[in-house]
Amino acid sequence: MFTPQRAFASSESHDSGEVNPKEIIFHHLGDGYGWEVPFSHEHRIPLPVIVRDNEGEWHCFSSARVTGGDTYEGFHISHGEEYSGKIVGVDAQGNIYRPLDFSITKNVLALFITVVLVFLCCMSVARWHKRNGHKAPRKGVGAIEVVIEFIYDGVIKAILQDKARRFAPYLLTVFMFILFMNLLGLIVIFPGGANLTGNIAVTLVLAVCTFLVTNLFGTKHYWKDILWPDVPLWLKCPLPIMPVIEIFGMFTKPAALTVRLFANMMGGHMIVMVLTILIFIFAAMGPAVTATSTVISVLFQLFMLLIDVLVSFIQAYVFTMLSTIFISLAQENPHQEGEHHGAE
Amino acid sequence: MELFTPELGLIFWMFLSFAVLFLALWRFAWPVIINGLEGRADEINRGVEYAQNAKAQLDQAREEAEKYINDARRQQAEILREADRMKTQIIEEARDAAQKEAQKVMDAAKLSIEQSRKEAEQNFRNEVSAFAIEIATKVVRNNLADTKAQASLVNSLLDELENKN
Repeated sequence: MFTPQRAFASSESHDSGEVNPKEIIFHHLGDGYGWEVPFSHEHRIPLPVIVRDNEGEWHCFSSARVTGGDTYEGFHISHGEEYSGKIVGVDAQGNIYRPLDFSITKNVLALFITVVLVFLCCMSVARWHKRNGHKAPRKGVGAIEVVIEFIYDGVIKAILQDKARRFAPYLLTVFMFILFMNLLGLIVIFPGGANLTGNIAVTLVLAVCTFLVTNLFGTKHYWKDILWPDVPLWLKCPLPIMPVIEIFGMFTKPAALTVRLFANMMGGHMIVMVLTILIFIFAAMGPAVTATSTVISVLFQLFMLLIDVLVSFIQAYVFTMLSTIFISLAQENPHQEGEHHGAE
Repeated sequence: MELFTPELGLIFWMFLSFAVLFLALWRFAWPVIINGLEGRADEINRGVEYAQNAKAQLDQAREEAEKYINDARRQQAEILREADRMKTQIIEEARDAAQKEAQKVMDAAKLSIEQSRKEAEQNFRNEVSAFAIEIATKVVRNNLADTKAQASLVNSLLDELENKN
């Protein structure tokens, strides 16, 4: 339970001594140049900043040069209303602008860590299968394999049936990736702590990938259902009402995927943060209130973190299951019609 | 709201990381893992099928064995009954034969006893007659001397005869 210390550390940095819950929460939910270190808000693990200024020139430097509020090569971290917390540049006219920012931020590094972890975990299972044939692994490898098998047998094969093998690599990668990002997000110190799946950019990319897989591999029948559905002619001929609705539906699916995962994970993190900050809000009311609120807050935080572990699995499962269903809907052939409609 | 506006940089890195991870796992991990899972499932199915077949065969064999055992028991009972019957018959026959033999022996014995008796009677009769003749001779001889003496003589002779018998 390092969260209280971290929150304390961050509240310390505001010289006024006033606790500003909104700022603290959004600071912790958001991205950052540099990775926080427990018990210290001054020190951060520096990360590379990669930006392209408005003249088309690339700059690459350590985040340690700007996190202290300094300016380096014309760039500094904005504390204003616009681009708050982001790297901004100042052009020749003295205007603040946002450069093209490809920095390895906290979230990007967390992504890389997740990629490496997922790869190592999946390779350990693959290595086991190569060495031991059809024997079932035990302990760590066994635990990972159980999760993979659960998704492959329970979701992918159950929904896609004979096409399961074709889409399983994508769906399994999505599941493992989301699961590891969710779980790492719950660990509050270094390799974890980045609120990745609670960041809309991450979930957006995943949803777009599902959208691409769904539509690029869609059957002729799927496209016919969208552009010329089986409805009375007046619903599609002079005014293409149904096709428009269907095309709109194509885009609402990835939007729903994006927002569902993002909102669920961000909500979980936010509740834990709010419970932590309650301690510091009550701190002004005397020692007895502080002690009571601390105990209650910590208990609730523990409870919420446990719930979040569950939610991590559930959200990864839901995202994979919905992706599988969307893909299977696009794989329908005329003779299979109606089989999957109940699933949506 | 920073949270709701996706950052271009993060989108780029996310897409790149995801693509790299997907390609790497697609190339190195998933085919092996999926083949392993499918292979194991097949093997388990085959194993279950094999076990079910084996169980059916075992049940059938057990049934057959039971049948054979029952048959054997029935046969055993039949054989025992037959043996019992034969034993009784043999004893009966033996008894009959023994009785017949005994009868024969007895008959022969009776016959020979009868014969011996007849012979003895004959001998006795001969002896008695000879003796009577002898007595008569002596009586006739003594008759001339004394009647009393005759009587005592006859008596003594009869005693003698009695003792002899």
